[in-house]
Amino acid sequence: MSHINAVSLVIVIGSFLIVTYIGFAAARWRPAEDPMHLNEWGLGGRGFGTFVSWFLLGGDIYTAYTFIAVPALVYATGAAGFYALSYTIMVFPIVFIFAPRLWSVARARGYVSPGDFVRGRHGSQGLGLAVAATGILATMPYIALQLVGIEAVLTTMGIGSPTGNSFVRDLPLIIAFAVVAAYTYLAGLRAPALIAFVKDLLIYVTVIVAIIYIPGRLGGWGHIFNAASAHLKTVNPATGKPYGSLVVMPAGEWAFATLALGSALALFVYPHAVTGVFAAKRRNVIRRNAAMLPAYSLVLGLIALFGYMARATPAVNAGVKAGGGNPQLSVPLLFARMFPSWFAGIGYSAIIIGALVPAAVMSIAAANLFTRTIYKELISPNATPAQETRVARLASLLMKVGALGFAIELNKTFSINLQLLGGIWILQTFPAVVIGLYTRWFHRIALIIGWAVGMAYGSIEAYRTSGGGQAHFGASTTSVFGHVTYIAIIALILNIAVSAVLTLVFRRIGLQDGYDETRPADYTADPVTVPAAPAGTRPPAVPSAR
Amino acid sequence: MAKHALSGKSPATWGVVTVLLVVAIFGTLWVPIYARSAPKLGPFPFFYWYQLIWVPVSAVLCWICYLLLRSKPRNRRVVPR
Repeated sequence: MSHINAVSLVIVIGSFLIVTYIGFAAARWRPAEDPMHLNEWGLGGRGFGTFVSWFLLGGDIYTAYTFIAVPALVYATGAAGFYALSYTIMVFPIVFIFAPRLWSVARARGYVSPGDFVRGRHGSQGLGLAVAATGILATMPYIALQLVGIEAVLTTMGIGSPTGNSFVRDLPLIIAFAVVAAYTYLAGLRAPALIAFVKDLLIYVTVIVAIIYIPGRLGGWGHIFNAASAHLKTVNPATGKPYGSLVVMPAGEWAFATLALGSALALFVYPHAVTGVFAAKRRNVIRRNAAMLPAYSLVLGLIALFGYMARATPAVNAGVKAGGGNPQLSVPLLFARMFPSWFAGIGYSAIIIGALVPAAVMSIAAANLFTRTIYKELISPNATPAQETRVARLASLLMKVGALGFAIELNKTFSINLQLLGGIWILQTFPAVVIGLYTRWFHRIALIIGWAVGMAYGSIEAYRTSGGGQAHFGASTTSVFGHVTYIAIIALILNIAVSAVLTLVFRRIGLQDGYDETRPADYTADPVTVPAAPAGTRPPAVPSAR
Repeated sequence: MAKHALSGKSPATWGVVTVLLVVAIFGTLWVPIYARSAPKLGPFPFFYWYQLIWVPVSAVLCWICYLLLRSKPRNRRVVPR
């Protein structure tokens, strides 16, 4: 791993430069009358049709999680890692159910973030704030996961000396991230939306070639499954149990199902996924996409199988061991050992760009949340749209710096835990956001307390789990009533139970509920135009330039 | 779902859509259905090929639901109150 392959390096740098050019050029794509409006910078003008939305949503959802974290888990533990496939299969029917309602109410009322919606629906600034803060918090580890993915590729390529201080080691990562931050700052959501085309082209080419070419070189699928099975049966000296299994064992079924369900429920309350939904032009675009996005699930399933291919390649196993037993290296190493250097370069580029696009969308989404729900509500209620956009741009930079710190200081044994940790937190906004789309039965203060209980329980339980050589935050499951369960699901149940009980209590004592500014028709509306400012917020003191 | 009146679709349509989506979700949520290695499809244990086949199945189910619920685009402007 110590030498740098010049051909791969040139290809990676070349594709990075092309993508950078596209990122800056995106500022002039579908130019807006007034680019300094959050609908433009933060939601790309809210005008993406089925085609662009498909790439954008796919780009958001399939990230370094797909290329690095999932195959790493499959490489190390076998079938248990396939919960990710199950999750991405069930997520689209779930999206189909509630996302159109969320899109409609956001379009009718001019909301740009889930925090906006919650504040308007429940008439509660505090609840909006809780949702916004949770979104920002949960997005951080998810962005950090993207960085871990990029780092795995750079390590495999031999870039960044393994010794020396962390700043020198991570310098290429920092430079790449600074460039992305620059064009995101300038072009907003248009940049990742346009780059998503290149990203997907690279990914589909890499995956199709890999799935056809590599099994042939390894002696066929039969051999790959046998090699994986043989490894999974051996006993892990650390735990005294086998490493895993080729098919989920009965004892693991509950964990498998709750991890899949929890991840699926969480995905579309993440700010970046909501941003992708809000950027769609029409209501039907969402449903059509729910039926077309599973193409990405298929790709995820195939990439998960890369974990077994890596296991069946002795050179990869040796490389992972040499890299400190870091399973995240398995897919980049697989490319390095199986492909000619130029095609390995294409594969590396696919992973790097596939991590940069969602990182950009996530930072934009977190910036929208911060600007609308925290800055405009608490700090500067009279901000003009141009001021809002300036604040959002700065916030997107800050998000990236925060995530960079997270990634550089982090233990990297199982990066998938970063995503699962984010899921525990973000799922606690599910009652206010998703249940809120259907009913206002819950009292606003009950929802806030339920959220606080879910957050506290989830964080403490996650902190208490050990695994992968870490004393804390080592896993995302815990045992309840003899079943190993994803913490997010238990926290959500607690959250809903507390909210329901307190709602009854508050009703009984006559505690005043908030004012709902939305109307039933908003949830099925399909308007072409967007109100310039969110209805219900205080009008700006000085009329904006528009 | 309190949107029958607003969406202009009959309760029967909503019923069919609900059933299709529940089937799509439970197809992979109910792990005991596919946590087994036989029957194999070539070298692929059941666990793998079932999940991979369920991807297009759930896509088709969603597509049917989309066709059932599709409404003609209304081009009138909705003025926010």
